[in-house]
Amino acid sequence: MKLSFYPGCSLEGMARDYSRSVVAVFQHLGIELVEIDDWSCCGATAAHSLDEMMAVTLPARNLAMADKLGLDMVTSCANCFNRLRFSQQKLREKTYDVPWKISDELQVHDMTRFAAEPAMIKRIKQRMVRPLSGLKLVCYYGCQMVRPPKITGYADYENPQTLDRIADAVGAEVLDWSYKSTCCGASIGIGRKEIQDSLTLRLLAKARQTGAEAIVVSCPLCQANLDMIQRGGGRDVLPVFYFTELLTLAFGDDKNARHWFKLRFADPLPLLLARGVMK
Amino acid sequence: MSEKNTPATDPAPARPRTLIGDRRDHLLSRIEGETGANISACYQCERCTNACPVSFYMDVKPHQVIRHVQLGWRERLLGSATIWVCLSCEMCSTYCPNEVAVASVINHLRNMAFHSSIAPKERLLAVFHQTFLEELHRYGRVNELWLMNAFNRKPGVLREKIKSGALKHELLLGLALWRKGKLQLVPRRSKAIEEIKAVYRRQRGEVD
Repeated sequence: MKLSFYPGCSLEGMARDYSRSVVAVFQHLGIELVEIDDWSCCGATAAHSLDEMMAVTLPARNLAMADKLGLDMVTSCANCFNRLRFSQQKLREKTYDVPWKISDELQVHDMTRFAAEPAMIKRIKQRMVRPLSGLKLVCYYGCQMVRPPKITGYADYENPQTLDRIADAVGAEVLDWSYKSTCCGASIGIGRKEIQDSLTLRLLAKARQTGAEAIVVSCPLCQANLDMIQRGGGRDVLPVFYFTELLTLAFGDDKNARHWFKLRFADPLPLLLARGVMK
Repeated sequence: MSEKNTPATDPAPARPRTLIGDRRDHLLSRIEGETGANISACYQCERCTNACPVSFYMDVKPHQVIRHVQLGWRERLLGSATIWVCLSCEMCSTYCPNEVAVASVINHLRNMAFHSSIAPKERLLAVFHQTFLEELHRYGRVNELWLMNAFNRKPGVLREKIKSGALKHELLLGLALWRKGKLQLVPRRSKAIEEIKAVYRRQRGEVD
């Protein structure tokens, strides 16, 4: 099985560990990811804020390149996913015109929904060597991946389940909470720090109240945001995992995971050692 | 509106009433036309404002934005903090009982403000978006370090950051990120951006 892969700028910058874990997980699952040739930034969130035409044109070329490969497209960044789908919809409505050919059959998946398909869950369970039992997690989806439902195609946008299904498949204890898709405020951090802090700290507080020991995310901005605010947090921190890291741990790839965790402010190692997931 | 509606007992034919949007040059019809949002359907239930995570920081609350558009108060909207504070998290549009696309309207107003002569109330946020696009046009992709560098070199940004104490915080954060090795020093490029820019110029009607 082959898919075209759009990483996005974050996965080349501060979320390099995410991109590595994505590649590792898909290798384990036996799915080949073909990176889109010479992809460009999707423009989130500046392009749509200032110029909608730009917000349609920027992702359109990436869509066209994916279409040329003739493969379904998968992206791991929630913002990119949202912008690509938005552009696809506007082009379908013929609001704007672009010179590239994009067929209607091209499917844009976000990686979590792809990995939460029943067939993929089965594959994950087959490949799992070590269940992550004893880990109490909450799943955090953020805003861009699920909303607006007309663009993202999420039917359960009030209580999304994709990450929950994945975390459940690898044996973790998934807790229910009400802040699954509340915005973390990452886009406003530069300029109005206090707004971002108030939103992010509330998320962390609610996750703690729920009884979670860690948060699972799929958006690189949410991860950076939730993780960076906890620097200097000492032992009382809530580690923020990418869902791909959970899968890597379940597949028993400790060496890689240890390497990625070095980039964290909220260090997950003490928790994983205490729960006996890692040794 | 028409003569049919005038009561039969009224001797003099009433002057035809002009409804908002009748002449199609009202802000309401303009934005409804450009965004496809059914702004007229709003009955001010305030569900958008209650769903909004940042309505506390807004001077014109989301439901008021819709009312302002209905009333045609363009200057007040384009000069508001709301349009810059909005996170585009789409809570408002998702929970609106009348399916008014509130977030799209606010986003459209932000577009309008950017192309207008009205000074943005949240200057730093506006300048940041602009810097992001400039960096994007330069490299085709965006690098966090270079973006912040370009942003800080914009006129007045550093002064404002020193005044608010944000600069100190930012430098400490930068240092922490540097120690973790999270920052990418050399920006990655995408050659495709020239092609995209050419398309963009053509869409705008500029001749190469």
